[in-house]
Amino acid sequence: MIPDHAQPRLAGGVRLEIDGTTGKAVLLFPEGILELNETAQEIVTRCDGHTLNEIVLGLAQEYDVDLEMLAADVRETLADLERRKLVEFA
Amino acid sequence: MTAPRPYALLAEVTYRCPLHCPYCSNPTRLRSDRELTTDEWGRVIREAAGLGVLQIGFSGGEPLTRRDLAELVHGARQARLYTNLITSGVGLDENRAHELRDAGLDSVQLSFQSDHVDLADEIAGAHAHQRKLDAAAIIRAAGISLSLNFVIHRRNIDRLPQIIELTETLSAGRVELANVQFYGWAFLNRAALLPTREQVARAREVATSAKRRLAGKIDIFYVLPDYYETRPKPCLNGWGQRYLTVNPIGDVLPCPTASSAIPDLRFENVRERRLDWIWRESESFNRFRGTEWMPEPCRSCPQKEIDFGGCRCQAALLTGNAANTDPVCTLSPNRASVDAVLDDLNQSSSSSHDWTFRVNPKEDSRRTDIAIEHAQFQ
Repeated sequence: MIPDHAQPRLAGGVRLEIDGTTGKAVLLFPEGILELNETAQEIVTRCDGHTLNEIVLGLAQEYDVDLEMLAADVRETLADLERRKLVEFA
Repeated sequence: MTAPRPYALLAEVTYRCPLHCPYCSNPTRLRSDRELTTDEWGRVIREAAGLGVLQIGFSGGEPLTRRDLAELVHGARQARLYTNLITSGVGLDENRAHELRDAGLDSVQLSFQSDHVDLADEIAGAHAHQRKLDAAAIIRAAGISLSLNFVIHRRNIDRLPQIIELTETLSAGRVELANVQFYGWAFLNRAALLPTREQVARAREVATSAKRRLAGKIDIFYVLPDYYETRPKPCLNGWGQRYLTVNPIGDVLPCPTASSAIPDLRFENVRERRLDWIWRESESFNRFRGTEWMPEPCRSCPQKEIDFGGCRCQAALLTGNAANTDPVCTLSPNRASVDAVLDDLNQSSSSSHDWTFRVNPKEDSRRTDIAIEHAQFQ
């Protein structure tokens, strides 16, 4: 399980952009494009030195959801992005 | 049908190249029109971004032979595109790498011919392998994302284990092991490049086990040798659906090999038309868009939205008609044209054939040498 103090960052060669056609956030990487949903976008935007714990607390201020469920969602999203080699942990 | 939005532009900025690989997909005969200028490329890039394109690949030929490459990359970044450089690495020194990184280059795909210098240089027709190894180190030191590309064919397919080892040594995050596809020079040299059935079977095992072993470390993309398949590749994810190519002289192509493979299609040029018109309205982009154009057996095939009838260029090259089902498909009435080629190789005792090295466009070859020398010694 990803620990609370892990600091997720976008992997080298991965960029977050807004797709001008759809208005949605996308991750761009060699030969690939991944469209993000709103939650994933909120998480990825915070992958700039924040710890996992800080990301969860930050999101909790914007979304009125159970903290444990939120933490589980964030972990799942980050683990998925790590499997795709789009996110790394410091 | 209505045009969807494109995602990626392949910008072939020059046909000039210091390498002479016999499998090059560039046309074997080139028109002598002058290359697009920096300003013309700038406009093409902005128009592509306006159409919805999110990624650009700078390719060629060898894009480093263009001294304005960093300027083009900068323009693409200003248009918020993801920028890939597809290169032989020849001509990439530290200064050039820094110039490109500072212009906003996101990623480099570096081509190799093999893992070993002697074979690699023989295939490239140039002393390039050591310079590629140097280029890989320079790219990594500059902090640019590095992928490797290998074209796999009869002469190097047995070295797949060593090739994968080289990828590990160079710490690339991604490698394309692409079995040669037969267009351009590769079509001309098919008899020398096509691997045998046994080679293909061994290579498939090597690739599969390496994928498993390196999962999470290196992304391995193994491009199948389609002549040995029974169903065609989903070429381009459908004609005029996601990709467009602009070649060095400004022709806009649904597929990079279409201009030479399909001579009866007339391609529009960015010097005469805006890109959005060409993408949406032109005959060349609409001819094979969607499924309406399909003949049988594609028309009634449940796979038609999966493989889109395969590759139009391959149909044109092997059957003389681009509107035919890709003859790689075993349901195609023309599959015999592929089987004949396979049988020729696999049933004959001698499998040695000479190949013809790619040559540069004549009027440009002197300029290529100068640009490379300059890049090397600056």
